[in-house]
Amino acid sequence: MTELLAVRDLAVAYANGAVHAVDGANLSVRRGGMLGLVGESGCGKTTLARALMGVLPGGARITRGEARLDGTDLVALSPAARRARLWRDLAFVPQTAMSALDPVYRLRDQMREVLCDRGGLSRTAADARAVELFEAVGLHPSRLADYPHQFSGGMRQRAAIALALALKPKLVIADEPVTALDVIVQRQVLDTFRSLSTDLGLSAIIVTHDISVVAYLCDQVAVMYAGRVVEHGPANAVLEQPSHPYTMGLMNAFPDLESDEAVLAPIEGSPPPLSDPPPGCRFAPRCPFAEAVCTREVPPAVAVTPDHWAACHRTPEAAALRPRARDPLTWRGVAEATA
Amino acid sequence: MSAAPEQPLVAAYGLAKHYPVGRSLRQVLRGERPILRAVDGVDLALRPGESVGLVGESGSGKTTIGRLLLKLTEPSAGQIAFAGEDLGRLDRRATLRFRQRAQLVFQNPFDALNPRFSIGRALAEPLSNTGVPRAEHEARMAESLRRVHLGDPAQVLERMPHQLSGGQLQRVVLARALVLRPRFLVADEPVSMLDVSVRAGILNLLRELRDTLGLTTLAISHDLTLVRYVCERTLVMYLGKVVEDGPTAQVIARPAHPYTRALIRAVPRPHVDQPRDALPLHGALGDAANLASGCRLRNRCPHAFDRCAAETPALIEIAPSHRAACHLHTA
Amino acid sequence: MDVAEARAAPAVAALPIRRRRGAWAAFARHLLRDPYALIGISIYAIFVVVGLTAPWLAPYDPMEILFTADGGLAASLPPSADHWLGTTNLGRDIVSQLVMGTQPSLIVGLSAAVAVASIGTVVGLLAGYFGGAVDQVLMRVTDIVLGLPFLPFVIVVTALLGPELQNIVFAVAVLLWPNAARVIRSQVLTLSQRQFVEAARVTGAGEWRILFVHVAPSVLPFSALYGAFAVGWAILTQASIAFLGFGDSSAISWGTMLQDAYASQALDRGQYFWFLPAGFCIVLVVLAGFLVSRGYEDLLFPKLRDDT
Repeated sequence: MTELLAVRDLAVAYANGAVHAVDGANLSVRRGGMLGLVGESGCGKTTLARALMGVLPGGARITRGEARLDGTDLVALSPAARRARLWRDLAFVPQTAMSALDPVYRLRDQMREVLCDRGGLSRTAADARAVELFEAVGLHPSRLADYPHQFSGGMRQRAAIALALALKPKLVIADEPVTALDVIVQRQVLDTFRSLSTDLGLSAIIVTHDISVVAYLCDQVAVMYAGRVVEHGPANAVLEQPSHPYTMGLMNAFPDLESDEAVLAPIEGSPPPLSDPPPGCRFAPRCPFAEAVCTREVPPAVAVTPDHWAACHRTPEAAALRPRARDPLTWRGVAEATA
Repeated sequence: MSAAPEQPLVAAYGLAKHYPVGRSLRQVLRGERPILRAVDGVDLALRPGESVGLVGESGSGKTTIGRLLLKLTEPSAGQIAFAGEDLGRLDRRATLRFRQRAQLVFQNPFDALNPRFSIGRALAEPLSNTGVPRAEHEARMAESLRRVHLGDPAQVLERMPHQLSGGQLQRVVLARALVLRPRFLVADEPVSMLDVSVRAGILNLLRELRDTLGLTTLAISHDLTLVRYVCERTLVMYLGKVVEDGPTAQVIARPAHPYTRALIRAVPRPHVDQPRDALPLHGALGDAANLASGCRLRNRCPHAFDRCAAETPALIEIAPSHRAACHLHTA
Repeated sequence: MDVAEARAAPAVAALPIRRRRGAWAAFARHLLRDPYALIGISIYAIFVVVGLTAPWLAPYDPMEILFTADGGLAASLPPSADHWLGTTNLGRDIVSQLVMGTQPSLIVGLSAAVAVASIGTVVGLLAGYFGGAVDQVLMRVTDIVLGLPFLPFVIVVTALLGPELQNIVFAVAVLLWPNAARVIRSQVLTLSQRQFVEAARVTGAGEWRILFVHVAPSVLPFSALYGAFAVGWAILTQASIAFLGFGDSSAISWGTMLQDAYASQALDRGQYFWFLPAGFCIVLVVLAGFLVSRGYEDLLFPKLRDDT
């Protein structure tokens, strides 16, 4: 598999550069791969996704770095040029499908708008493609005649996915695509993504706070913390053998339906203010394994295996730290001691 | 119902809550008055000190049950008894006494505290509302802040809600519920608005409170993993009815109702290596305003047979203290 | 209650000072951030100061008929060092009239503001919080009042009850409270859905306590805002009534100045300094009302704020 998207040292600033919501993020998506972009609220994952699509809110702009999609640097393009590539190069699935679908038009008309106006298809060709797309996401083509409000939440989300796929984009970016859905419906939408990945070779970034969603769906994971990607690698490696203490903490803070009475280990404290991040490693104030160097120097990406890296000074010791991270006592009082 | 070994703290019989719904022109012309059966005939009993999880999808009626048990809304039918007293017949004084004993933890900590009240004022309000002498306020507030591990009370009390993080706010919400020293606590989606790393702390706290205070708790959630972590017993709801009731470990390991089975299978696990086979359930959640006859799941259930359409299944015991409402267990 | 609470709990003793900050602080922040609102409020403030100090500011008695040094009537004089804006055709000093005319405008404006804000707030709170029949009755009354034609109604009221200022205030208050009531009602409806309101109920607070302690403080900035709008409207109405000749001709106001100038055909004589300043003052005060409303638009329609 070759690399489809390569993001290097990307930074996005708000408020005239005073706040960097994304500050030197690195990640890559393989052709036909699904990357799970995991992080807590405010870590910059949504900003990163929006920056790639050129739909940053007013006042925010990319200040450095590059994002090569199939060789073209998106950062070098003007935001307008980036937006012009929407649908064709990049397509978006938002958290609530209602913001992607126009409530006053039938789905068929919304499909036509994208396929004819953006894609230059004829009306007949567009209708045929719309049927194809609805079948691909598991919706009955007869539902094309319906308005969005006639769909249930899960079906609406699938219709939004179908719309995003209309012009065969190289990459789909889905922002929390299943967060607002109930468990069973969530599973149905996840399965839609999975079948698109296996049948059509869809490449996607799934932005989510839910590690289980990533585990279920993605083959690659990027973990974000306070504006930076702190660990990146194959889902199996990152989730089973996390090498960054933050990832270890996340995994241990997550209740599992199957595991026995294991006590969860919360990560104490809260993420640093992005207007005034600590020097060095941004996780250091909450990290039970932080050493003097962590508060001084920004940790480089250290390779664990050729395609798995972690931005931590103690990456080589990860195997020894992992069992300690599983003990809730390790984390207790860390944030207060360093505050 | 089987005879309980102990008098339940909270008990409901034939509990129902119906809402009128908006009518289409055709329904108006035909004189139809459709109703939404949010809760439709629920019996339940919570023993003192028991922690019970109430699981279901949105629209299953689980939040309505919580509101009914706390007398925040009146039932359309049925009765609720709290420590033997009928909630429907409480006068003003008795209602205030009930408020002291039954409390609620809210879903959204950012909304559950009045933004213009300091934490101190938020915690003092329940005390002055229920007539606790002012001399005791300070000690009671400090006590409940200690229970939720919120650091130095003197400092916390002066803070305004916007100065605290989501996790801290949720601890304050818990402290406000505990300041009245309740016996019964309803937690409605207590962590769904919180970040993953903070959730664990709140869940641990709920567990700790359950063990140290002997509280009777009802945790309402769509999230089975939460219930699995905090509750001894689990009730599963589907479209206004309880379809399964049993010890949590047993319900998760050996679900007896097809709906529970699908619910458990649908939860993604935090490991790459996990089952991904198709769910044993099709279609979407039914419409509580337009219910099918017989079993409410029958249109989605792979095991449905004739009897499911003809007869509504009752909750029957299928193993000790494990009940399910499915004809498969009587066939 | 505040005092008792503070005494009982030393740990929170410092709190009463900080209370009620949220909404008013937001109000003040808007003011500082939005230049339009700041200009509007400043105009109001200047007129209030002028109105309060008018007897000392005015160089002459506004009704005094003045004579020139040679004994002639000082009628229709052009602006000069003695009479900055000249004199009327009856020899009265125009600056003095303008300054003194601020007073009735101010009385009308401020009392209308208080009346509109109070009625609107009470109606909005009751309708929004209790809903049901209370809401139905109050909102239907609101609808009816909203249907009344503005100026004709005021003219009828002044014709029936007399041209005194309090009757104009009464008419303006009757006409303007429904807007405030509607917005406050919808605000109360939203607030009632907030979890902290349910939290108060579950911790034993009574309905009136919830209404006044948890809900009302959050709508007070809206009341103040609608009061501020009413200032401009009331002054404009009083001036219109006076100009149309239904006013109290013995009292000096900007409206009666315009009326006098019009009746004596000042325009034909080119005495712009007689009526333009009075007209300008009216425009300024009304403009101030709109500037304030513009500045607080995002307070009224939070959607605008979220999008920025």
